[in-house]
Amino acid sequence: MPTLQFAPFSSVVSPAFWHKLTDLKIDVLKLSDEAVPITGTYTAGKSIFDRETGQEVLLGTGFSVGGESFDASSTTSHDESTLPGASGHSGNAVTATGSFKNFNTIEEFKALDKTKYFDEEAQKIWDSIIATKSTTELNRFFVITFADLKKYKYYYWFSFPAFVSKPAWEIGEGSESWKSVVDVLSRDELASINAQLRAEPTLPAFFLVKRARGGSQGAPAIGKVEDYETFFTDVPTSEVRSSSLPRSIRSLASLTKRLRRSSSLTLARPQRIVSFIDPSPDPQNPGWPLRNLLAYLRALYPESTTSVSVLRWRDTEVTTPTPNTVWKSQIGTVYLKEVEGAAAGKRPSAVGWERNPNGKLGARLADLAPMMDPTRLAAQAVDLNLKLMRWRILPQLDLEKVSGTKCLLLGAGTLGCYVARALMGWGVRTITLLDSSRVSFSNPVRQPLFEFEDCVDGGKPKAECAAERLRKIFPGVNATGHTLSIPMPGHPVPAGSVEQVRKDVEKLEALIDEHDVIFQLMDSRESRWVPTVLGAAKGKIVINAALGFDTFLVMRHGVRARDQKEGHERLGCYYCNDIVAPGDSLTDRTLDQMCTVTRPGLAPIASATAVELLTSLLQHPDGVHAPPPPPNPELGPSSQAETGGSVLGAVPHQIRGFLAQFRNLQLIGRGWDRCTGCSEGVLEAYEKDGFDMLLKVFNDQKYLEEIAGLDKMKEEGEAAMEAVDWDEGSGDEFD
Amino acid sequence: MLTRSQFAAASRALVAKHESNPPFSTLLRDWEWIDAFPYGYLARSKRYIRNSLSQSSADSSQLGDDPGLQEEEDSATAHTTSEAEWVISQQFVVFSATFQVPALYFTAHKANGTTLSLDEIMNTKLFKFEIPIGSDANGFALTLPDVPFPLLSQGDHPTLGTPCWYLHPCETSNAVDELFREVMEADWDEETRLVRWLETWFMTVGGVLDL
Repeated sequence: MPTLQFAPFSSVVSPAFWHKLTDLKIDVLKLSDEAVPITGTYTAGKSIFDRETGQEVLLGTGFSVGGESFDASSTTSHDESTLPGASGHSGNAVTATGSFKNFNTIEEFKALDKTKYFDEEAQKIWDSIIATKSTTELNRFFVITFADLKKYKYYYWFSFPAFVSKPAWEIGEGSESWKSVVDVLSRDELASINAQLRAEPTLPAFFLVKRARGGSQGAPAIGKVEDYETFFTDVPTSEVRSSSLPRSIRSLASLTKRLRRSSSLTLARPQRIVSFIDPSPDPQNPGWPLRNLLAYLRALYPESTTSVSVLRWRDTEVTTPTPNTVWKSQIGTVYLKEVEGAAAGKRPSAVGWERNPNGKLGARLADLAPMMDPTRLAAQAVDLNLKLMRWRILPQLDLEKVSGTKCLLLGAGTLGCYVARALMGWGVRTITLLDSSRVSFSNPVRQPLFEFEDCVDGGKPKAECAAERLRKIFPGVNATGHTLSIPMPGHPVPAGSVEQVRKDVEKLEALIDEHDVIFQLMDSRESRWVPTVLGAAKGKIVINAALGFDTFLVMRHGVRARDQKEGHERLGCYYCNDIVAPGDSLTDRTLDQMCTVTRPGLAPIASATAVELLTSLLQHPDGVHAPPPPPNPELGPSSQAETGGSVLGAVPHQIRGFLAQFRNLQLIGRGWDRCTGCSEGVLEAYEKDGFDMLLKVFNDQKYLEEIAGLDKMKEEGEAAMEAVDWDEGSGDEFD
Repeated sequence: MLTRSQFAAASRALVAKHESNPPFSTLLRDWEWIDAFPYGYLARSKRYIRNSLSQSSADSSQLGDDPGLQEEEDSATAHTTSEAEWVISQQFVVFSATFQVPALYFTAHKANGTTLSLDEIMNTKLFKFEIPIGSDANGFALTLPDVPFPLLSQGDHPTLGTPCWYLHPCETSNAVDELFREVMEADWDEETRLVRWLETWFMTVGGVLDL
């Protein structure tokens, strides 16, 4: 006869279990690694219908733990894991008690003497069998865990100790192997068993079945396994072992054997039936709990249990049986061959560690970081919020384009702080700030990334402080700050500082290279020159914002002439309208000229406008080449896209705001081929001579005018003036 | 369209009707009405198999095998196929106050207690159709092309407050009403009408998800 193989339990953990464990560890256990009692459940084995293949797929022998596993009383509290079909309400699931032990370090987890621990647990089961004859511990299990709460990783290992039978149990063959209950018991009998089970307050894991005297005519009785002796006193055993019987009876045995071979008789006869709720849906392999049940019977009633009729009950979900009910339970007979005089009370060895998914002995891991790590949750929430814009209002919005744009903010003052905030609102993930100064006491009220504490002791460096604050607001942002002075034309560099300035310029070049958008948010005119040149040379998007007292300018730079597309007019930069090179506007200023004194409401307006100009530009299919709206456009939302705007609307070139009138004006400035900031003359000189060219510009304003061609323009202008034939009319009125 | 009390009445009647065994279809058998405060809902749990075994064996942060532990060779332990492919899904039918119609909420987790990402959910047998190309599936919603609303998105269970996936209910009412008009008979009483409407709803949702 084939060896009976039992289907081992597979642990099924619900996320609530990990949450509860975390709470328990933080609130109660803290560092204790004492064993804590827990419960788990299993239900009758099920299969599901795979609609693709049309096959029934066996679902496996699951053992579930959930949030309620830690509850002191294992009564069904309403929890998601007690829904029907899973652990089910108490009518459908068997509850097992066990213990749980959490270790505080991975080393302790690994170092646990697992064999010894397992042995102790198995001993507990054995002791309860021998001492109390109770079946309540037969399903005892344990789980050891290591919860890494910082990384939200849970290492765990379940164990379901079961005694090994030596020799192994065998399953009958042919007509005695597992067969459907309807071949053995009548439907009425099954209905009766079902009703009696349902009448129990909790579903018993193990029970006995005794058929009525009249066989299939009467209702069978079910009873507790603990009452084995008394329950079956009036029922003959069904076992016939020819070798162990005296000769006189052996002929009877052979007669019985022949009778048994005729299936109808054999199938109708088992009277003493041992039963259990079978979590295994596999027709061949009964579930794990049967092992300890058989061990229990062998330990306490060895004489009558060398063969056992086993009912594998799996019909826990039948409520009201009908003639059409499909009964899933099975019945069969298991045998033990050649039993030695097993020393009673000697505990058999046990097996039961759950294997890891590789089939080997090892712990399992549940990585809950994606679900529980607050930083990740914050990132998801931020993105979700932006998605709502897309779902509800603008399906064509390309949010990834915006969030993936790397922004460099030159200036971490009023404009810089508001721009950074608005960018984070759009989900931009890479924000780098540059500033040369420290937080001063007047800053926090107008520069929303700074607080009072940042001002004391001389003040923290603004750029780094702002970046740190951005991270505090949203840990998922990639924010960095650099303290750097941007050199300026008209501010000669003393000989001793040339090396430092060279390094600064190199750093600035690298930063501009690494980013997609440069925001010019400084507080002076000439400091914008170097980034303008670098931005134009490297083809970056440059957004400029500048404040007056109650006026502002927000503009985007056009592309350099070399990159200009056919059919579009080149748009200008900040300097395109200047006929002189930017010079020193900072020295010898009065206090009110040095600090940009503005109406406080202006900076947020200008910053927000700058960011929204960028996002509209990014949504435009032509990007930096997007044309501005024509002057005097038709007002109305639908015409924006039609007049060549983006899904967000127009992409103006310049916006000038007049706060006193609460009015904005859109302007278009053409690119000039003699501009000190973006003309090809200047850019090519930079590309050719690099830092040396820049140094010359810092030191000598005239040089810049030369390479831009402004000096020639002066000459041309003078020449034009000369060429005009002034009509020097006679007139005595002018003496 | 239903009111909340109609939804509750329909759900209870449906559960009662399907609790008894065949001849009714077994598909709606395991739903249970949970009378929770403040809003009741239908609930059940189901297991699914994943379409393909993802490469979870290459998880580098696994502890690996424990070399020190020996367990005796045991011929009586059956070898089972890996249940790592299981997906356990808690499913809820809640009443959407915004759309005045039932909405299907569900969670999905693996046997080790981790929840499934959207990609993994799409890989299970939960969905009945192939997700069309052009759909946008990012971390937390699935939007089919040409449809402004996401088919599947994340939200909080109205009563439990726990995060769930849900099927967007905006189009459901129209779809169900249309089907229902075909089936409806004039002589039904209110309760039968409600139960049948809910069954039609299940059928509609069942066209998308494998209920």
